[in-house]
Amino acid sequence: MKIIRLLTTMILLSGAVPALAEDSYPDFKVTGFGTLGASGTDTDRLAFRSDIKQTPGVTDSWGFDTDTRMGLQVDVDINESWHAMAQWIARNTAGDFLEQNLDWAFLRWRPADDLDIRVGRLGIDTFMLSEYRNVGYAYLWMRPPHEFYSGLPVYHFDGADIAKKFEIGEGVMTVKAFGGHSFTQVPTNLSGLAEQDLTLIGGKLAYEVGNWNARISYNYSLNNDEIAPLQPLLTALNSTEINAVWPGAQALAGKIATKNKVVHFSSIGLGYDDGIWLAQMEASYTHTDMTVYPSVASAYLSAGRRLGKVTLYSLFGISETLNNPVNVSNPLVPVPEIIELRNAADQLLNTNGVDEQSVSLGLRWDVHEHVALKTQWSHNWLGNNGASLWLPRGTGSTPDTVNVWSVGMDFMF
Amino acid sequence: MRHFLITLLLVLFMPSAQAELAVIAHIKNNIGVLSAKQVQDIFMGRTRNFPNGRFALPIDQSSPLRAEFYQKLTGRPVEQVNAYWARIMFTGQASPPQQLPDDEAVLQTVRENEGAIGYINQIRVDKTVRVLLLIN
Repeated sequence: MKIIRLLTTMILLSGAVPALAEDSYPDFKVTGFGTLGASGTDTDRLAFRSDIKQTPGVTDSWGFDTDTRMGLQVDVDINESWHAMAQWIARNTAGDFLEQNLDWAFLRWRPADDLDIRVGRLGIDTFMLSEYRNVGYAYLWMRPPHEFYSGLPVYHFDGADIAKKFEIGEGVMTVKAFGGHSFTQVPTNLSGLAEQDLTLIGGKLAYEVGNWNARISYNYSLNNDEIAPLQPLLTALNSTEINAVWPGAQALAGKIATKNKVVHFSSIGLGYDDGIWLAQMEASYTHTDMTVYPSVASAYLSAGRRLGKVTLYSLFGISETLNNPVNVSNPLVPVPEIIELRNAADQLLNTNGVDEQSVSLGLRWDVHEHVALKTQWSHNWLGNNGASLWLPRGTGSTPDTVNVWSVGMDFMF
Repeated sequence: MRHFLITLLLVLFMPSAQAELAVIAHIKNNIGVLSAKQVQDIFMGRTRNFPNGRFALPIDQSSPLRAEFYQKLTGRPVEQVNAYWARIMFTGQASPPQQLPDDEAVLQTVRENEGAIGYINQIRVDKTVRVLLLIN
């Protein structure tokens, strides 16, 4: 706190941004939000998680850490045009607990009422909720729709964004562009974390008018480094000795490799809210060149009705990977080590699919100013090779339907 | 006891006492009247300026009048307004208006700040402030 105060004082003294007399600058504010949640399922073969950055997930023995989290935010109004903000969230996540959980730390310049330029660590605005997935109080459901959001491990990036608003007709259009670099640690079922090192650029176009809001967005991501846990397998598949006994090995290495491969995210979203009825839908297509992270199409549709302080809602979600199975050839000579290698490659390429649909019913009860209680029941259908948003437990077959029950309390202060 | 029961019934079944609300500004603020949409844009953080380009400093209340103000102005319950601000605040776009405890504190602040805009029960309006909009 002292350091921030010192820094802002230095900025003010430098004379670059003189403070106005009307308000007292710099103005500091500490706020926060959180969720206490418990979830359980009706299976012990497959663990449910809110997103793919989480381990170990919950089963029929219930657990707290799929939804429980707490965020703290510090805002500093340096003067009328300059603002700084940092937000850190304690949550269940893979990797560096301090660094991976810092979702925002930026300096914003607002030279005009309708223009924002921000530099630093920023939330990623790829989908409607992707900037505030952790702020349960801000949305209706227990958690963002699972099929749509849980496969997206990137919460933030380091870079810049620029947003400009235009008044068009009765409504406001926002055009935003962003670019930078993201470092995301994701758990794998290999040894070690997958460290995704992405260069990304993207943009969105949003329009709000009356009870309606709509958006389209696009995001291009280039993976700069090979994912380390894949390296031993790639080295083996590329070796001359192995290709002598198994001619198809090297071609598989090319498919498994992730370095310099590109992911394109595109989405559309539409929301309606008249104070009584509310509805929201999004559809996305993620096209990837990575066979280990196959292309996927997802969508959800939700409708709700407010009855005083209680809102009842329903939610339907679907996500399907679109890649065809990769045919993994057999080695010419059935050497056990090479068979093992072949099976590892086959598993990586062919058991990473998402084939998931769910129907959910839930309610949000605004019990107190800034406190909401929620409960949700979700019935999930999981197809063959379709549960990669979940975590398998044990080695047996996994169920093709799973019920998930959750209760939670969202708050902000 | 009977008095208590009647009061309880009133509290339970009457909507909270319906006041006519006045949106007020500094006496020297010569922007005339505002539309409900213009007031809404200022209080919901969609603009930081009055229509004449002057910097606007919206003043909210933490009193029960707050729920009534947003219900009448936006047609939405105050819980929904709070959820809206949670999204705006925690994505680093803007901060909600500062809250003062009651009409008297709002009046005082509006008298002292040329850019201020607040709302109070209409019966509390006096000649030291300018009324921009009446909401009922």
